[in-house]
Amino acid sequence: MFDGLREKLRSVREVFGTSIQAASTPPAAEGQGAGAGAAPRTGPGLAERVKILVTDGELVLTEKQIQAPLQELEMVLLENDVALPVTDEILRRVKEDLVGKHRSIGQDPGVVILAALRDAILRVLGEGFDLPGYIRARDRPVKILFTGVNGTGKTTTVAKVGHYLKKLGFSVVIASGDTFRAGALEQIGTHAERLGIKIIQHKAGGDPSAVLFDAVEYAGAHKMDVVLADSAGRFHNRVNLMNQLEKMKRVMKPDLVVYVDEAVAGNDAVVRAEEFEKLVGTDAVILTKADMDMRGGAAISVAHTVGKPIMFLGTGQGYDDLMPFTPDLVVEELLGGAL
Amino acid sequence: MLDKLSSSLKDALKKLAGKAVVDREAVEELVRDLQRALIQADVNVRLVQALSQAVKTRSLDEQPPKGMSVREHVLRIVYQELLRLMGSRAEVALGPQKILLAGLQGSGKTTTTAKLARFFQRKGLKAGVICADTFRPGAYDQLSTLCGRVNVPCYGEPGEKAAEGIVERGLAALATSEVILIDTQGRHALEKDLIDEIIRLNQISKADHRWLIIDAALGQQARDQARRFHEAIGIDGVIVTKMDGTAKGGGALSAVSEIQSGIVFIGSGETIDDLERFDPDSFISRLLGMGDLKSLVERAEEAISTEEMDVQGMLRGKFTLRDMYKQLDAVSRMGPLKQIMSMLPLGGADVPSEAIDVTSAKMARYRVIMDSMTAQELDDPNLIGGSRIHRIAKGSGSSPDEVRELLKYYRLMQRALKGMRGGKFNLQRMMRKFSGM
Repeated sequence: MFDGLREKLRSVREVFGTSIQAASTPPAAEGQGAGAGAAPRTGPGLAERVKILVTDGELVLTEKQIQAPLQELEMVLLENDVALPVTDEILRRVKEDLVGKHRSIGQDPGVVILAALRDAILRVLGEGFDLPGYIRARDRPVKILFTGVNGTGKTTTVAKVGHYLKKLGFSVVIASGDTFRAGALEQIGTHAERLGIKIIQHKAGGDPSAVLFDAVEYAGAHKMDVVLADSAGRFHNRVNLMNQLEKMKRVMKPDLVVYVDEAVAGNDAVVRAEEFEKLVGTDAVILTKADMDMRGGAAISVAHTVGKPIMFLGTGQGYDDLMPFTPDLVVEELLGGAL
Repeated sequence: MLDKLSSSLKDALKKLAGKAVVDREAVEELVRDLQRALIQADVNVRLVQALSQAVKTRSLDEQPPKGMSVREHVLRIVYQELLRLMGSRAEVALGPQKILLAGLQGSGKTTTTAKLARFFQRKGLKAGVICADTFRPGAYDQLSTLCGRVNVPCYGEPGEKAAEGIVERGLAALATSEVILIDTQGRHALEKDLIDEIIRLNQISKADHRWLIIDAALGQQARDQARRFHEAIGIDGVIVTKMDGTAKGGGALSAVSEIQSGIVFIGSGETIDDLERFDPDSFISRLLGMGDLKSLVERAEEAISTEEMDVQGMLRGKFTLRDMYKQLDAVSRMGPLKQIMSMLPLGGADVPSEAIDVTSAKMARYRVIMDSMTAQELDDPNLIGGSRIHRIAKGSGSSPDEVRELLKYYRLMQRALKGMRGGKFNLQRMMRKFSGM
């Protein structure tokens, strides 16, 4: 994934580079008088140029000089589904980092920009989440509740996480908390059977809280390591359904509430992530369908808005298509890793 | 957050309100706000740029028609440009046909298939459904359960791996059905095998229509995804699902403008009847976060006859418990209050969220309580004091606190409605503008 965004960011970096280089050339010609080339003409331009102070081989950038590349960066981010507020935030940080700072002239502009961009995105991304480490450190069973809106892939994700943990040697039980959607019981039942994971189910239309309670009881009695609780998809603007989720949380007392959303979602991802965080809380995020597109801007947006670490990325339809999310690696991949 | 945004758009429009000539600066500001609103609604960035350029040029070049204010002039251009992008509504033929449904994973194909079956069934056509999703566990169970509830035959072969065979045999099995809907597995443009599969399914089924299901929350990639699907099987209609959330559906708009085919239906809820014909007016209004008066008026007409509710009187501040009772009664037919409120152009009025976040269960409770009030009390709620509250509570089997809560809610609503009337809100003018377009 991320290929598209990486391509674009690379070209923006070059634009930044030339504009910074342009900024550092006019002072050199200052002694000779009339500025030539890309530098602004005399008159207002002079005042402009005075701002680019060259003291002891240092160079200060003004906001104006990086405005054009900043605008380009904005377009690139927006086009790649980085939500508007998050784009603003990244731009602000890059600007803060670049404007008014003293840079020594000899420094490669590419390095300066890369550092600023890397820093901004890394701060926006937050930290990853080490699930196996978390489970090892906690009392068993560790209870994990999955939430999210309809059709983001909660059920598939529960199966994948179950498979992932099982491979690592943890014993897992799945609670089939989606008692509403037709076919949901069969779906998760089939997954569990294929993976050889114990599943606790009630009849369709039953109280999901009761299912979760039973699963936790079962895990306790059988000394299982992890309980993974699926839940029915629901929209954050449905008061009743959100209350139901709150009840599920109250009954289950999960150690972790994991919010599942799709990486292809647009700006609404931010709105609903915020609402879920507000109403039932979120400890970590899993983004699914990251293979659908090369960009992955939503990942950046959601991570920033929820302010919660991203745990996994779902990258395909197979049980093994689950990738632990490591911010360093993502940024490395985004920016090409070349320093 | 989104509300903040659309209000900034409204502020920009307000600045144009008093102007007699089109002011370049104000138009530019409006266009900037428009851009942000559209990007926020997930409309493709390139599309937004083209659109805002067009709006800018047209606003400055074209003379506003006589009698139309600058603000209305600009708003009309914005509206027309958006409408142009969207194309016309794709018509649905009410006759024998085969429809192939395709879309990304989790976009709501199966639910929509069942909803469509229900739609055609209600139009008096014999509908049948084929489940060609061989991948997702439980897909057949889901579809057959949904179809079973409305007695629509559903053909499927759980365990079978080749979708092509299922479609062939399904078409034979459902030979007596007039409308055949084929639900397929979720797939995306980068999965070459699956794209090849849907091309084969299209050939085998000889489908009359190929509809693409798009999640309202889909972001910038909607355009590319739609194009690939279009290239593969020639999409001739789009269904936007999950419009009952907070997503604005800008991705769907980008998709539609890319493949030049109209939106057929809107999915707006989890039950089988939550499928609406697409209405460009309300779609645009939602996209811009501005009121959608036209569809409100239409809906209101359906749900309430005029003598039932005196809207003008309510806006004048004449709002009694009796009106509220009718309102609560009508709300169950019109949809949630929040939805109705979101359709009103409440530029200036700030409706408190407590007044809106009343659940349907509470609404029903309120009606029971009001049933225990006297006619006098309903007409003049100020009469209700402590002892009357106790009597009402006993009569309706509720607690005095609940009665007090109802009265508090009533006052909130009364204040909100009064606010709607103030100054800038002019129902007639708004109506004129919307009907004039």
